[in-house]
Amino acid sequence: MLTPKVQVKGAVGLALLCLLLATALPVEAIEVGELVRHIDSLWRGETSHAAMTMTVKTRRYERSMTMEAWSRGKGYSLVVIRQPIKDRGIATLKVKENIWNYLPKINRVTKVPSSMMSGSWMGSHFTNDDLVKESTFEDDYDSQLSFTGSRDGQSIYELTALPKPNAAVVWGKVVMVIDQTTLAPYNARYYDEEGTLVRTIRFDHNSVIDGRSVPLHLYLQPADKPDESTEIDYSAIEFGVPLEASFFSLQNLQQRH
Amino acid sequence: MSIPTTAAAPLQRLALLLFIAWRNLWRNPARSALTISALVGGLIVVILYASLLEGMMRQMVRYATEVTTGHLQIHRQAYIDDRDLYATLPSDYLAHIEHDLPTLHVAPRLYAAALASSATTSVGALIEAVDPVREPAVTTMLSHLRRGEASLGLSASTSSAASRYNVIVGAQLAKNMGVAPGDELVLVTQAADGSIGNDLYRVAAVLKPLEPNFDRMGVLMSIEAYRQLMSLESGFHELAIKLDDIGTLATDQQQLVDELAALQRQQPLDTLGGEAVVRNWQQLTPAVADMLQLSRSMLIILGFIVVGLASLGMLNTMLMAVHERSHEFGILLAIGMKRRWLLLMVMWESLLLALVAALLGSLLGLPLAHYLATHGIDFSASMPDGYDWGGIVFEPVMRGYLEPSQVVQACVLTLLVSLLASLLPAWHTARLKPAEVLR
Repeated sequence: MLTPKVQVKGAVGLALLCLLLATALPVEAIEVGELVRHIDSLWRGETSHAAMTMTVKTRRYERSMTMEAWSRGKGYSLVVIRQPIKDRGIATLKVKENIWNYLPKINRVTKVPSSMMSGSWMGSHFTNDDLVKESTFEDDYDSQLSFTGSRDGQSIYELTALPKPNAAVVWGKVVMVIDQTTLAPYNARYYDEEGTLVRTIRFDHNSVIDGRSVPLHLYLQPADKPDESTEIDYSAIEFGVPLEASFFSLQNLQQRH
Repeated sequence: MSIPTTAAAPLQRLALLLFIAWRNLWRNPARSALTISALVGGLIVVILYASLLEGMMRQMVRYATEVTTGHLQIHRQAYIDDRDLYATLPSDYLAHIEHDLPTLHVAPRLYAAALASSATTSVGALIEAVDPVREPAVTTMLSHLRRGEASLGLSASTSSAASRYNVIVGAQLAKNMGVAPGDELVLVTQAADGSIGNDLYRVAAVLKPLEPNFDRMGVLMSIEAYRQLMSLESGFHELAIKLDDIGTLATDQQQLVDELAALQRQQPLDTLGGEAVVRNWQQLTPAVADMLQLSRSMLIILGFIVVGLASLGMLNTMLMAVHERSHEFGILLAIGMKRRWLLLMVMWESLLLALVAALLGSLLGLPLAHYLATHGIDFSASMPDGYDWGGIVFEPVMRGYLEPSQVVQACVLTLLVSLLASLLPAWHTARLKPAEVLR
């Protein structure tokens, strides 16, 4: 974005240009595409393996679930519920654009139709789409930096993402506030097509993993139900684990519980 | 004409005028016969239209109430507002209502959204749980089967699988998922405790089209099966009620409201679910109620148009007849006939025409309407599943319904419009100047 079209001849010129850039632009200047890719892969990496606890609070009940999740790139992910006993072994597998649920109680695999992507995942305030990260900022949204600078004493980038014309996404707009130095998000606000705030996710408990600052705690608050929430706590997350595409197969889905 | 001073005199005069009018009609029998047949035709059209419309409306009310809705329903307010799974009526409401209002037939129901999967596809589904014993007393839903048998119990266990609950699926759902009776169906949903409710079911039957939404998504199961799937131990979302006589709808509704108020005092409901609300079928299916109202207005308007057209013919006849007899009327006036008697006579003539037409029209229209009521108009060749109008699926056979009062109303309408049409020629006659017409 900020690369001037300057004809540079020789190494000296290049060095000079670098110097110019370095002085002319603030250190935190970042290309949007890079930021978006960073956010998209924050909890995912090239491959990842994580353990987490999800706590859902509604007006009617509160329940916690412990889960284990694997992912490989954008195309593959697998989430298996470990606790409570009643839901143990229920698994959600995503391969490319297909999503399946495995239900150990009846030993059946069911396909989740794409029309259900915006549906609640396992009774939480997260959607199926959130879980499997079907949509990414990079592929489905046009993002731009809507604010760069200091706000509430923190140096932040504010990323505003609008869905691409034909993207099959749930949101009308997503605004994410990201720390300039660690590039870890502080919060994200999700709006519907009418521009009404639907939910806010707050991120904290950052931990540096493989040189990246990853928030290990997500707190989701639906805008229309202030007394309800869903929290996700990562108890462990590692990146770059060896996972083949064949790991994410229906056969494996049935064997993993 | 001598004028007796007795009280019977005006009546005698009327009778005399009637007699003269009757004789006058048959001075030109062809013309009178033509006029009468035009009126008869109009009347028959109105009778047949009324009969068909009444038949459709009755079918509509029957479908709106008999098949799935019932005459009255009770829900919690929060359930009405956003289908809140937890907004249930306490289970003992059913027993209380059945005990306190024994003339009502009550069927409890529960609903939930779910994902239905077969071996190959998954679609969104709407689970409706019914009581297989009470439901038939309220609606005929469980008997509208296209294939299979109406069983919601446990299927016999086979060597390969444990026993499963039977479900009945909507016509379009069965088609979209490619399931037939005997097939396996997986239902996945979010249970009341937040866990993932999932189980295997056996498709026992496929319903006939009932209501477009339900056809596309509906899955019927027993309340027992629902409670296991949904982890919802007690309560109902809906109590559907059928009355023995729909005529007592208003009083029965009020009794239910009072009953619910009494129950609320004994055992207050939680505030999240809101209060219990009684609604009748017109409130539950406002589209149908509005359409019935609209159809009735349309019938009256159409009746006026048809009969009005026919009586234009009569107006023409009478004007001709009056014009022809100007000379004769002039003489009558010259020898002392009162103008109002002349007016009366012409009106008698029209009325007699209309009366004969009404008599003939009813005599011919009744058997035709009766034929429509018994045989109907059959569209089943082109629409085997019937047609849907205003969210209600109709049988492919359009049947009339003969409501005798409507025939009487159509006759009265004919008489009134004819009398109205006769005012012009009668007025014309009464204004004749003997000196001019006799010249």
